[in-house]
Amino acid sequence: MRRSLAALLCFAAVPLAAQHDASKEGKPKNPAMGNPTAIASGQKLFVNSCAGCHGVKAEGGRGPNLRKRGVWHPLEDDALFTIIRKGIPGADMPASNFNEEQAWQVAAFVRALASPAIENPPPGNVQAGETTFWGKGGCSNCHRILGRGGMLGPDLSNAGATLAAEDLRESIVDPDADGFLRYKGATVVLANGTTLKGVARNRTNYSMQLQDAQGNLHMVDLSKAKQVDISDHSPMPRNYAQRLSKQEIDDLVAFLSRQSVRPFEPAEKK
Amino acid sequence: MTIRFLLSAALATSLAAQVKYEDLLKGPGDNWITYSGDYQGKRHSPLKQITAANAGNLVAQWTYHVPKASGLRTNPLVYNGVMYVTNTNEVRALDARTGRLVWEYKDTRSKKEAVNRGVALLGDRVFFVTGDVHLVALDRRNGALLWQKQYGRVEDGLYGSMAPMVVKDKVLVGVSGGDSGMRGYVAAYQAATGEEAWRIYTVPAKGEKGSESWGNFVEYGGAATWLSGTYDPELNTIYWTTGNPWPDFYGGDRKGDNLFSCSLLAIDADTGKMKWYFQFTPHDTHDWDAQAWPVLVDLPFNGKPRKLVLHANRNGFLYVLDRVTGEFLRATKIIDKLDWATGIDPKGRPILVPGKDPTPNGNRVCPGVRGATNWMAPSFNPATGLFHVITLEQCDVFTSSAKEPEPKKNFSGGGASPKPTELGQFFLRAFDPTTGKRVWEYPMTGPAEMWAGTVSTAGGVVFFGDDDGHLVAVDSKTGKHLWHFQMGEGITASPITYAIDGKQYVAIASATAIYSFALFEPSR
Repeated sequence: MRRSLAALLCFAAVPLAAQHDASKEGKPKNPAMGNPTAIASGQKLFVNSCAGCHGVKAEGGRGPNLRKRGVWHPLEDDALFTIIRKGIPGADMPASNFNEEQAWQVAAFVRALASPAIENPPPGNVQAGETTFWGKGGCSNCHRILGRGGMLGPDLSNAGATLAAEDLRESIVDPDADGFLRYKGATVVLANGTTLKGVARNRTNYSMQLQDAQGNLHMVDLSKAKQVDISDHSPMPRNYAQRLSKQEIDDLVAFLSRQSVRPFEPAEKK
Repeated sequence: MTIRFLLSAALATSLAAQVKYEDLLKGPGDNWITYSGDYQGKRHSPLKQITAANAGNLVAQWTYHVPKASGLRTNPLVYNGVMYVTNTNEVRALDARTGRLVWEYKDTRSKKEAVNRGVALLGDRVFFVTGDVHLVALDRRNGALLWQKQYGRVEDGLYGSMAPMVVKDKVLVGVSGGDSGMRGYVAAYQAATGEEAWRIYTVPAKGEKGSESWGNFVEYGGAATWLSGTYDPELNTIYWTTGNPWPDFYGGDRKGDNLFSCSLLAIDADTGKMKWYFQFTPHDTHDWDAQAWPVLVDLPFNGKPRKLVLHANRNGFLYVLDRVTGEFLRATKIIDKLDWATGIDPKGRPILVPGKDPTPNGNRVCPGVRGATNWMAPSFNPATGLFHVITLEQCDVFTSSAKEPEPKKNFSGGGASPKPTELGQFFLRAFDPTTGKRVWEYPMTGPAEMWAGTVSTAGGVVFFGDDDGHLVAVDSKTGKHLWHFQMGEGITASPITYAIDGKQYVAIASATAIYSFALFEPSR
């Protein structure tokens, strides 16, 4: 019984294997997936050949935004590879001149754009990034990892498992890019003269859930406030692109990409 | 608002208020900081702004829809104006006055989705369990992850759904999954570090005392620890109930009493060693887990003051035990439709009616598979001396399967369901534990599908969810209806009460949302 089932599976896998020079197990595999060097190569190819429509940061333009998962995320690697090589007939997406290796590299880059960073850890010196995080970067004044660090910024204990590497990078060099609505700086003067300062974790016209720098939560009834000031920005410094070198930022992103509470299990093992 | 301010202030010492063990010992006041409010499991609040006279003036204050929720089981906790609620693999902190979200934590990589009954609090920490059996510690103030500890494996037929319980410096957890072949346990972890302090299995290993009561099936005996326990600090004893033996409906391969399934365990809080046990349903074949909280009360029994533990069991009896020794004192019926036993003998063993086991063709037995009561939280009001229990009058047709038992694969050895012409009915009933007598009852209408429990208040009001999706208030003394609110969907959780700035609130989870109520304030 088991043997015949195995034979059937092998048979079913043959057409796929023939298509993409797949591994001997009979499954199409992206040899570039999870390989930092290959992803970096894919990025170069992407910038040269794809960015014209999809944007340099894959933010979209004439072609769709590739960092928002909805557009292409349901696609298997296999289908992504085929689209990159052959385009989408009848649509504006043209065929490319990439060879197989290059197409896999671009596919791996596109996959990494919207996948948790831990799944495709970007290149960079993790240890140097760690040193920057706890030292020169000043990141730990506001951010925490497993209970160590400041209170005001988002917890980064699981950053690599929840955010894509490019999103991590963007948060560092352009912190206002995604709005950070839950982390606006806020000052409230209450009717009794007390001043509360911190970040507004949430707010309406009627109430504010304010966290002060010590981490204390204040559930503020705004009908009892004399004055409310909300910053246009998150308290995250906006000058990291100047304060840190490109290498230091790469290292920092590499370090944060490895922050995952649960060990990463490659898809094949799931 | 300047960056410099924030950075310098961030380095200042934290002086935030903390949930201390002494606070947990005190029980509820303005805050509601354990699942049952106090360690005794009374679910009784000293708050009395809402009374039997004014409960009719309750109005909704806010609603928070929990994203993607269905069938919420969460029992909210409230500390210093912040409410903590859970959903599958998620915790949220809400402003308890407005219902606004403060922070949320999502474990997106959990291997199992399961219902969740709530958090535990200690110090600056919030504890909850994931569906795939990890105990997680978060910072109470911003939801930042502090540590995460795997305490069981989904592959072993386990999952996590209970609200952890804090005792002194430890966090206690149990495991779900007793209907598919697993081995139950209670484990204690250091709250500070997540290091395991002790673990007690509810089914003995082969060769250990009690294993002789199992036949061949001790390895997958079940006896899950679905819920949290209660605690007597003077006796340093934890009281924890255990689930059914496996396979649920077929006992042929597990001949014997099947210790320590369907039991109450008294456990030393420091060592995890069993002090005594009491088994309510030996060799259960009707899935009658011991579910409801063991409620600890000091009351006269036969004229003498005694330390008692009350437990309303799925098998249809309200048990009174001596909680120092485990001695059986009395069992009385909590339902009228009960036909599997004629009573409980002086040693606490049921006097069985022959021929009530499940059969391949089906055998009608009362109560049904969900039991005369279940995990719907009971409550005890020290002022009236009444014990409030949600009860279900229902009989089911129980079938057993001749199939070879397969552990960890949702095999339960049969099943049970009511006859379509004989659906059940829920009642809220108040019992006098000193006599076992039913003092009043509140019959409900509805499809007999709810899982809502109760909370009692010093204002003389009992709140509970009914079988039609109402939150209901009744008079503690008489059971008379005072107020109700239609929540628009079935209720599978129990209410709590808390206060902020002198205003009392009552909160409960509906299937998909958290609601909070307070008295109407015309001057606002």
